[in-house]
Amino acid sequence: MTTEVLGLPLEIGASSAWLIWILPFIAALIMPGIGKISKHATGYVAVGFALMSAISAASLIPMALEAHEIHDQISWIDSIGLKAGVLADPLSIIMANVVGWISFLIMIYSTGYMKGDKSITRFWFWMLFFIGSMQLIVLSDNLLQVFFGWEGVGLASYALISFWYRDKKKDHVGVEGRTVLGMLDYYAPTHAGMKAFIMTKVGDVMMIAGMLLIFLFAGTFGFRELMHDTTWATTMSAQGLLVPAFVLLFGGAIGKSAQFPLNEWLLEAMTGPTAVSALIHAATMVKAGVFLVMRLAPLVFALSAAGILADQFFEIILIVGAVTALLLGLQGMVNSEIKKVLAYSTGSQIGYMMMVLGIAGLSQQFVNGYTAGFFHLISHAMFKASLFMAAGSLLHVVGSRFMTDMGGLRKNMKKTYAFMWAAGLGLMGAPFITTGFWSKDSIFGAIYTSGHPWALPIFTIAVLTAVITAFYTTRMLGLVFFGSKSKHVKKMEAEGHHIHEAPLSMWVPYGILAVLTIVIGLVGLSFEGGLHEIFTNYLEESFGIYSVHNEIENSILPGFLDGINPVALTASLSAFGIGTGLGYVFYIGRWVDPVQFVNSNILFSTFHKVILNRFYLNAIIYWCFVVSPLWLSRGVFRYFEQTAIDYGMNNGLQKAVGWSAKVVQGTQTGVTQSYLFVFGAGLLFVVLILLI
Amino acid sequence: MEYALLQAVFLPLLLSPIAYIIGRKLGTTPAMWFTFGILLYSTILIILSVLSGTTEEHYPWTEQFGEFGFLLDGLASPFAIIIYLLSTILVFYSKPYMIHRFHEQYAEENHEIVSTNGHSTLIESSSLSNYVNAKSGLYFALYLVFAMGMLGTVLSTNLIEFYVFFEVMLIPGFFLVALWGAGPRRKIGLMFLLWTHAGAVVLLLGFLMIGLSLGSFDFADIHESEIPQNILMLSAIAISIGLGVKMAVFMYHIWLPWVHGSAPTPISALLSPAMIGIGAYGIFRLIVEFLPNTFADLSIWFHIWGLVTMIYGGAMALMQDDIKRLLAYSSISQMGYILFGIGSMSVLGLSGAEMMYVTHALGKGILFMMAGIIIVKVGTRNISQLGGLAGKMPITAVCAVIGALTIMGVPPTSGFMGEWTLFYGALETAIKDGSTIRAVTFGLGLVATVLTMSYILWMLKRVFFGKLPEHLEHVKEGSWYMTAPMMVLAGFTVVLGIYPDIFFKQIIPYMNGVLGV
Repeated sequence: MTTEVLGLPLEIGASSAWLIWILPFIAALIMPGIGKISKHATGYVAVGFALMSAISAASLIPMALEAHEIHDQISWIDSIGLKAGVLADPLSIIMANVVGWISFLIMIYSTGYMKGDKSITRFWFWMLFFIGSMQLIVLSDNLLQVFFGWEGVGLASYALISFWYRDKKKDHVGVEGRTVLGMLDYYAPTHAGMKAFIMTKVGDVMMIAGMLLIFLFAGTFGFRELMHDTTWATTMSAQGLLVPAFVLLFGGAIGKSAQFPLNEWLLEAMTGPTAVSALIHAATMVKAGVFLVMRLAPLVFALSAAGILADQFFEIILIVGAVTALLLGLQGMVNSEIKKVLAYSTGSQIGYMMMVLGIAGLSQQFVNGYTAGFFHLISHAMFKASLFMAAGSLLHVVGSRFMTDMGGLRKNMKKTYAFMWAAGLGLMGAPFITTGFWSKDSIFGAIYTSGHPWALPIFTIAVLTAVITAFYTTRMLGLVFFGSKSKHVKKMEAEGHHIHEAPLSMWVPYGILAVLTIVIGLVGLSFEGGLHEIFTNYLEESFGIYSVHNEIENSILPGFLDGINPVALTASLSAFGIGTGLGYVFYIGRWVDPVQFVNSNILFSTFHKVILNRFYLNAIIYWCFVVSPLWLSRGVFRYFEQTAIDYGMNNGLQKAVGWSAKVVQGTQTGVTQSYLFVFGAGLLFVVLILLI
Repeated sequence: MEYALLQAVFLPLLLSPIAYIIGRKLGTTPAMWFTFGILLYSTILIILSVLSGTTEEHYPWTEQFGEFGFLLDGLASPFAIIIYLLSTILVFYSKPYMIHRFHEQYAEENHEIVSTNGHSTLIESSSLSNYVNAKSGLYFALYLVFAMGMLGTVLSTNLIEFYVFFEVMLIPGFFLVALWGAGPRRKIGLMFLLWTHAGAVVLLLGFLMIGLSLGSFDFADIHESEIPQNILMLSAIAISIGLGVKMAVFMYHIWLPWVHGSAPTPISALLSPAMIGIGAYGIFRLIVEFLPNTFADLSIWFHIWGLVTMIYGGAMALMQDDIKRLLAYSSISQMGYILFGIGSMSVLGLSGAEMMYVTHALGKGILFMMAGIIIVKVGTRNISQLGGLAGKMPITAVCAVIGALTIMGVPPTSGFMGEWTLFYGALETAIKDGSTIRAVTFGLGLVATVLTMSYILWMLKRVFFGKLPEHLEHVKEGSWYMTAPMMVLAGFTVVLGIYPDIFFKQIIPYMNGVLGV
């Protein structure tokens, strides 16, 4: 470990690593005070601090490129021997930059989006808290500290999802009055926030169990300490607890990243302001789960390289990822609310990342899958943030969350139209020009070449999901921008509302990200190569995971596609083609009416109904974990607490005392004869006893 | 500092008549400042003693019972600090709340006079203020005795002394509930007295068994090996039951929802977290420390009993409409956590349990204060009539959220520090013993945290969020007397959550010593 990096002493690097997550918290703390002085200033301060945090993250990039790491610790809970610290290694530095810069852009967007909101101070407080918590997760050097950030993210999401806590009708999600299996499919913001917090808490509870298991055997929460001495893993493995512990930790990621079966909160999370949705989906919340897996996966893989097997861990990640990718992708095809489509898409894309991280651990070339997962995380962060912010503009302008209330907007909102196409192409994976294409392709490649027996079925699911992704993205763009204007828009125009472009502070941030999606996409392969190199070095130096360098011989592909797997390339090209083509037929060209098409056939209409009803998963969860426990509690309350305890013990005792008092009272007759009689009988009794 | 602990315990008792006189002659505010002064001085004494390490004081008492002493060690100091901290802070809170209550009661009593006499009388303001002054004098006097009783219990070094203080805190508690409670207050006061006294008598039986067989009641003379085997287990069970009633664990919780629901809110905020937790202190001191082998046999039962209480209290809290009763059931559930931690029989588990006492005191203190503000400012305690209050009372809402997070165990509040250590302890013993039951209780315990979260969040939603009913349009934020104490506690819980060593530094070495690690 050098004491100097690029001419700067290490301490400066360490302090900027601390600052990355401390700055947003400081800003959050001073926010109420600033709000008291001037509501107008809060936005500048918030954006300023987000920028400073992002700059601190950027200042560490040279270090990441050199594959150096900073590990700085301070004492924390001395009585248990725990330390707090930052760990800035290439993984966390790159992640901190993704989070920092995207959050910064979203903050700028928020200044426009939230303009004039009365509770703006509260909004900024929680946004900053959100960013700070996420950066804390990214930069922590131990699991306990990660958990602080982890719950902080949950808390912030709770507060922001239910930001409009008055539960006005316009802030709900879902279709009013619609029920699935008797459960309302229409949610108020406060309900949605609660649902998100409790549902992710289920994951957190698993995570804490996993953490505690590891702490029990290793005596430390530190990532580097866990790697340094692995005897704990041997012991745990011998007791059969290693895989359960890591799977429990992954449980936390399932909750936070909205993976199956804890995916249902993500949809209702759309009740929050759209800037919040963008933050949750692109930078903070859901990416936390992926990041946690990225933190842990090399550790687990290194253990298995050392002979301590934990393959099931990766298999579970793989399966969960694959199921989520397909399940949520399918649901994205039918929903009519634009934000919900994007939310389903996020879950599905996160499923991709999980899938490839799982396959990475099961293949020889760990670094390929690892890089692919991270690359997809970066490209998804860019285009999804852009799409969400653009969707926010649409909502802002049209005043409805339903795509059926939009339509034909391409003339009115040219910039948004263009940027949404650019970002949308990223999501669809438009060949050769978008980041989404390259990252998806590298995922396909990593899965296909993994050599795992499940590679082919998983590959099929991945490609199928890509088709679906391209389809629903095209559908979304088609419904919003093409065709004729909807009744709602016409009515608005008739009432004198002018449908116009969003203000500058709003379209610039998503414009930047949309352009970046294309710009990085144009050099996608070399960008990926760079990441690959960084991670190869990182995995070698920090975990001792060496990748096998085998040159691809006689590739049939042209020179500029060097290193790409031809099968994966064909698959991603055709997935894009088929998905977009189908979407074009139904929603842009409008050659076939989708409603008629679905109703033409009982099979289609049933399938449509099932996915529209979210595979009944949400309703089942409500029945099992909300309705039944409440019913049970009510029963116990009525028939045990109020009857046996309250009535039985309290009133029963009272009655018993009253009754015995009456019995005793009965002897107090006041009749001298009866007293004398008892007295005489007693006397006789005593005399008899004495005589005998 | 000589006599520091003696002063801290007896000053409030000796000066309580003066508080009464001041209240009567000078009014509520001087009585409040006087009470605050005494308690602040005592709190500072306690904190200084804690900072100077383990403090012990011994004074001669009677031949039969042994010494009258005070001991402030790693176990007692968090309890002592929290009890006096809460008592001191709640003095401020008491003023507006109790004045509100006295006014209500004055109107009630005058109404009775009106109806019996058959003609209306003008309420003279001077008679009202006389009434309020007299009552507040009495209130603060009882308050001081109540606080002193709680502190005395946790500092005792003698079984009989422990019992005496244990009962001393009961008497003012009874009067406070019976005089100014809500609902059928005399009945509820009696219920409180009766059940907790019955528990105390069982406790006394246990004490007598131990004390008489050893020939001494001093803590220093209690050695488990010298107690005859046949009465050892019996006395331990008697003590557990006696303390279990105080802690209101499952099946002995009958009195708690009534009393906490009815008591004047500042007293609920003291009763609920500080007083019932003293049951947990008793288990730590008397069973874990003095009877370690018996404890090892009993621990699994504590564990299961704690788990049942956690879940039962949480499930019942889901069903409540009265906000204070909801919090009361929540207290039962939280006592379950503590008992669960005690049953874990590991250093961090026991430390976590004690930390839970501290964090519950802070969190539940805040939540009860929130309930009190709502009672004073809105005039109802039914959750179904509330909603959307966050905009009307932002400070209360923010503090309530912090209090709720503390109860839910979400970092950065102190609740998390209590919870993870507690569950770690449970897991540690489960793995070390290879016990399936303990593994299952550990898992169910974690499920119970989700239940806790559900009822707390649901309560917050129904009280503070959602649509604002029309009849709440005029509601205003509580006065500084009421919000400032909440803010102090809210700040403290966050500080403690980030830097738990404030208490862990004392608790963990003590637990290490007790479990012989």
